[in-house]
Amino acid sequence: MGRRTWRLIVFLVVVLGAIIMILPFYWMVVTSVSPSPDIIAFPPKWIPSQIVWDHFKEAWERAPWLVYYKNSLVVATISVGCSMLFGLFAGYAFAVYRFPLQTPLFLLTLGTLMVPVQVTSVALYVFLAKLRWVDTYLGILAPNFASAFAVFLTRQAVQTVPVDLIDAARIDGAGEIRIVLRVVAPLIKPVLAAVAMLLFLSSWNDFLWPVIVINSEGLRTLPVGIALFKDPYGNINYGPLMAGTVISVAPMLVAYAFSQRFMIRGIALTGLK
Amino acid sequence: MSVWLRRAQKRHYFHAYLFIAPVLIAFGLFRVWPSLQTLYFSFFKVELVRGRLTFIWFQNFIDLARDEIFRQATVNTLIYAASIVPITAGLALVLAVLFNERFPGKELLKAVYFAPMVTSTVAAAVVWWWLYNPQFGLFNVILKLVHLPPSPWLLSSTMALPSVIIFSVWKTLGYNMVIYIAGLQAIPQEYYEAATIDGADALARFRKITLPLLAPVTAFILIYNGIFAFQVFDQVFVLTGGGPANSTNVVVLELYKQAFQRYRFGYAAAEAMVLFLFILVITVIQYRAGRRYEVSY
Repeated sequence: MGRRTWRLIVFLVVVLGAIIMILPFYWMVVTSVSPSPDIIAFPPKWIPSQIVWDHFKEAWERAPWLVYYKNSLVVATISVGCSMLFGLFAGYAFAVYRFPLQTPLFLLTLGTLMVPVQVTSVALYVFLAKLRWVDTYLGILAPNFASAFAVFLTRQAVQTVPVDLIDAARIDGAGEIRIVLRVVAPLIKPVLAAVAMLLFLSSWNDFLWPVIVINSEGLRTLPVGIALFKDPYGNINYGPLMAGTVISVAPMLVAYAFSQRFMIRGIALTGLK
Repeated sequence: MSVWLRRAQKRHYFHAYLFIAPVLIAFGLFRVWPSLQTLYFSFFKVELVRGRLTFIWFQNFIDLARDEIFRQATVNTLIYAASIVPITAGLALVLAVLFNERFPGKELLKAVYFAPMVTSTVAAAVVWWWLYNPQFGLFNVILKLVHLPPSPWLLSSTMALPSVIIFSVWKTLGYNMVIYIAGLQAIPQEYYEAATIDGADALARFRKITLPLLAPVTAFILIYNGIFAFQVFDQVFVLTGGGPANSTNVVVLELYKQAFQRYRFGYAAAEAMVLFLFILVITVIQYRAGRRYEVSY
């Protein structure tokens, strides 16, 4: 078999796989804009006979999507902001300073990765109930104020910054906080950007903890909103359900379309330890 | 170390502890403390509303061992993990090797494979719930188009778990593929050229160069996916809610039901300890394997 034939076969296999991968997205969009009879037609209508917006209208009236957006955005922004700020300083401290209990404290930080919220949810809920944080923004945020992952990756990045540079800044009279924010942070910007994106994505898509801690409709994040939006539907009302799904996934998919290289590389960062 | 240097370092103790304080406080309160509490609660009957704790020794764990539903949830979780990990790893490796060829539209195609990864699991599962619909869902419609018998998918206790696994493969394939692609690109091209000159065919090159040099990447993928497989929840919650007849119930879902629907917090804490044990075992394996597979090139 020649090199050319081989490449053609590879290309066709990869394209076929890609069609399978994209099919659920395609069918979600098609269902959301097809007239109801099209949705259950046989043979299937791959292209809608006409585009209708009724399902979107219905989905929009049935659930407060803007409230869900707002909640997801507030939670993601605060948790990413805190995790990045705290992670930057802690990562710097673990990389640059030598101090008593350094290694045990670092291992303790990393150890939290081994005990995910899936394990601690029960006791965390009981604890937050005592604080009266259940069913509040603070409750959703509680386990996400800091990220071991951000600490670890920042530490790795700071270790690549030449010590001379930090010492030079000290001789120039810069305080430590200033050095972190003005000297080190700009130098490790690509890593910080990737970590922030990763944390934002995981907060945005997080489901288990928000669904545990939130009861009020007004505090639901997007994943909680769409999961509970699905429930009252019977077997045939799939148009509005898919419209709701489009509403909930569209912002992230649009962001992905514009920055896929950055996002793929950032997410792959987790694997390149 | 000179006295001066030591003093200079000591001066930084204040900053060091100041800088790590926020992380330690946040983790201490909301991660470490609940972890210890989970262990503690697993020996108690916890009545949250009355604020009452009753020490019951190992009763929760004894009940767990006898609990048919929890046993099934554990078995399902193990089946899920044991299927999804090798299937995604294998498919991802094949795709990564294909992506190492040169062909048009490569970046776009890679982005397509990766797209499920950035989509929320819940939303994607809602779409698949529609695709799996036995009457009008796309999968059965396609089967009907090619004159194959339809499948009950999520409605049958034998097909439901495989259906959840198929969904999860679709969801995680792109991530693993990208990790493998990065691993492949790190292998020096000269190795292949040398092997080709020595007369090794494509299959031999794959088995003797690619596979061994990718071993650390493979180890990472197996462990990473394994740990996440034990925590599976979102897709089961949306697709089946654990049914039919508990055939897709998993440990985290069972824990969620016991704690937050039946308010048996102590019992759920005991289940959480079992889950932790699974994660611990995989992490220990990772630690051992990580040492064995350190390949330098």
